[in-house]
Amino acid sequence: MIEQDGIIPIMKNGVNTFKDTLQGDVNLTVKKTSVRELRRDEFPAADKCWVDYHDTTGDPATDRIFAVFSEEHIVSLARCRRHTDGMDVDGIFTPVEERKKGYSRIAVGALVEACHNDDLYMHAVRHLIVFYKKQGFIPIEEKELPPTIRDRYIWAGGNLEGADVQPMCRKAGLFSK
Amino acid sequence: MKIIQLFNLSSPFTRTRALTLAVATVIAFGVNFIGIFSGVTILLSHVIYIPIILAGYWFPRRGLLFSTVIAVIYGVLIALIIPLDLLLIISTLFRMAFFILIGGVVSFLSSKLRASEQQLHEIIEFLPYPTFAVNQKGLVIAWNQAIEEMTGVKKAEILNKGHSAYSHAFYGINHPALQDIILTPNTETETGYLPLKKEGKTFVSEIFIPRFKGGKGVHLRIAATALVDERGNITGAIESIRDITEQVMTESALQNTSSRLNTIAGIVRHDISRKLAGLYGILSIGVMKFNNPEVLFFIEALKDSAQGIQRQIDISREFKDIGTSPPAWIPVQNAVLDAAARLWVGGVSFRTWTERLEVFADPHLTAVFFHIFDATIKETEQVTTVVVTYHIRENGCAILVETDGAGFDEKIKASLFTQREERYGHGLFLAHEICAISDMTIKETGTQTKGTRFEIMIQPEGYRIL
Repeated sequence: MIEQDGIIPIMKNGVNTFKDTLQGDVNLTVKKTSVRELRRDEFPAADKCWVDYHDTTGDPATDRIFAVFSEEHIVSLARCRRHTDGMDVDGIFTPVEERKKGYSRIAVGALVEACHNDDLYMHAVRHLIVFYKKQGFIPIEEKELPPTIRDRYIWAGGNLEGADVQPMCRKAGLFSK
Repeated sequence: MKIIQLFNLSSPFTRTRALTLAVATVIAFGVNFIGIFSGVTILLSHVIYIPIILAGYWFPRRGLLFSTVIAVIYGVLIALIIPLDLLLIISTLFRMAFFILIGGVVSFLSSKLRASEQQLHEIIEFLPYPTFAVNQKGLVIAWNQAIEEMTGVKKAEILNKGHSAYSHAFYGINHPALQDIILTPNTETETGYLPLKKEGKTFVSEIFIPRFKGGKGVHLRIAATALVDERGNITGAIESIRDITEQVMTESALQNTSSRLNTIAGIVRHDISRKLAGLYGILSIGVMKFNNPEVLFFIEALKDSAQGIQRQIDISREFKDIGTSPPAWIPVQNAVLDAAARLWVGGVSFRTWTERLEVFADPHLTAVFFHIFDATIKETEQVTTVVVTYHIRENGCAILVETDGAGFDEKIKASLFTQREERYGHGLFLAHEICAISDMTIKETGTQTKGTRFEIMIQPEGYRIL
């Protein structure tokens, strides 16, 4: 299996369902939980879910959005945006009422697997560094970020610690952390 | 009257404009005349800009002359009616200069605009493909030379006419045009143009019109696109038409030939299979009849050869349909899932992340994934996971099929896609041939002991992300 900790997707009958490598099988399949990439016509549904997350919106021309569905409702999102000089992972969001169910791990795991052909960069909230390390990300210096992605936090004036974020990178590759 | 003679009044359109201009000029001078008599020389003079701007915009080649004449008349009026002092002379001269300047600037900008419009008009006019455009009301605003030749209807006969006119020009009856889908969307129009494709913002369909070319008929490929203003509002539509009769006939002839060849090949295959069955029977009898080891050795060798022929027959049967249907846009996710469903292997997890990817490929694309899965799972060891993704690159898009496990032996990699008698040689050769039909390439770039990695490379125009 793919070498990443936590709940990982398994395809059954054309639907990605899950298995937890840390705690054994979880019965998410029974709850009709699935994860997949959103199609262009589904981006407005993601925008609606993101309203509580800095009004984030998706752009089909540059973004790939991965959503975890529970009973056909989006319960977690993760976005990978293509910039001219690199891939930026952000928009990782689970509504408050759906948290602590492992959905974010599923969404990020799906994104990482689907976009593993490129180096992935992100600004991780500092208390989630451990979470992203389990997905194969490692902390890096701000100067190592591609310029376009670095500029997103230009307002912090180089003090990312003060902004409570840590630049991280996951090197391209599927079966490696 | 002199002012009106400044312009060419041959067309009714120009006459209306000239009349409007004359009325505006009379009103402007009338207002100023009253103002001058009342001692007001400042504010009311601005009214004179109206005929100057109109003249500059409508008649750019005469705009400067017109504004000069207006400026002179204004100056003479002031000079004749009001006692002149230095301040009034200076302010009047400035005003006259501005009249001329504004007239000149508007004329210049208008002439540039006309030149640009003329250039666009000529682009449409001399397009090699029959093209026409309508405005939001459905009235014809462009009808180029190529479409005149195709339909026999001259531009002068159809400009500013509505749906009925261009419908009759093509179909000879009242029939929806493809661009009606843009201006007045309805299911009746769509039904008349099935199969209807949408390529970006363009609607595309193919139709046959029997009445053209002296009743021989033509196959046409029609593309209709909306004309939009700077705010994105639809202001009309443009329709471009291409005669694809030769292409359709060639495709039809090729399909007929292919069909006949397939039929002949099928008959030959059937006959060879029958003869082979007979040969197997004789060889089986031979095994029972003879005890001599040398004879039995020869019989065994003959059986091997017969099995080789049987394999070739099986391969030719599988190849017979490839390339017979034209390439089409195929959702990769569906092709991968269909292939995985055909080859369910317990203990192996399939995951595909190609939800939005479509490729322009042979309809047998599913067979490509099937043979890749088959070769990797059955011919390499310890495979537990198959992951399908895609990667956008400068030179196109790569579909990547990756597995964990032992991977392929480095020694056989170079010959993976050549036709051989070994088990996977046949399937991967087939996958390679299917890819080649639509200019896709396939290679294996995995590392032995770390798993397999197949890369299907697609040209930039051969993929799209929905």
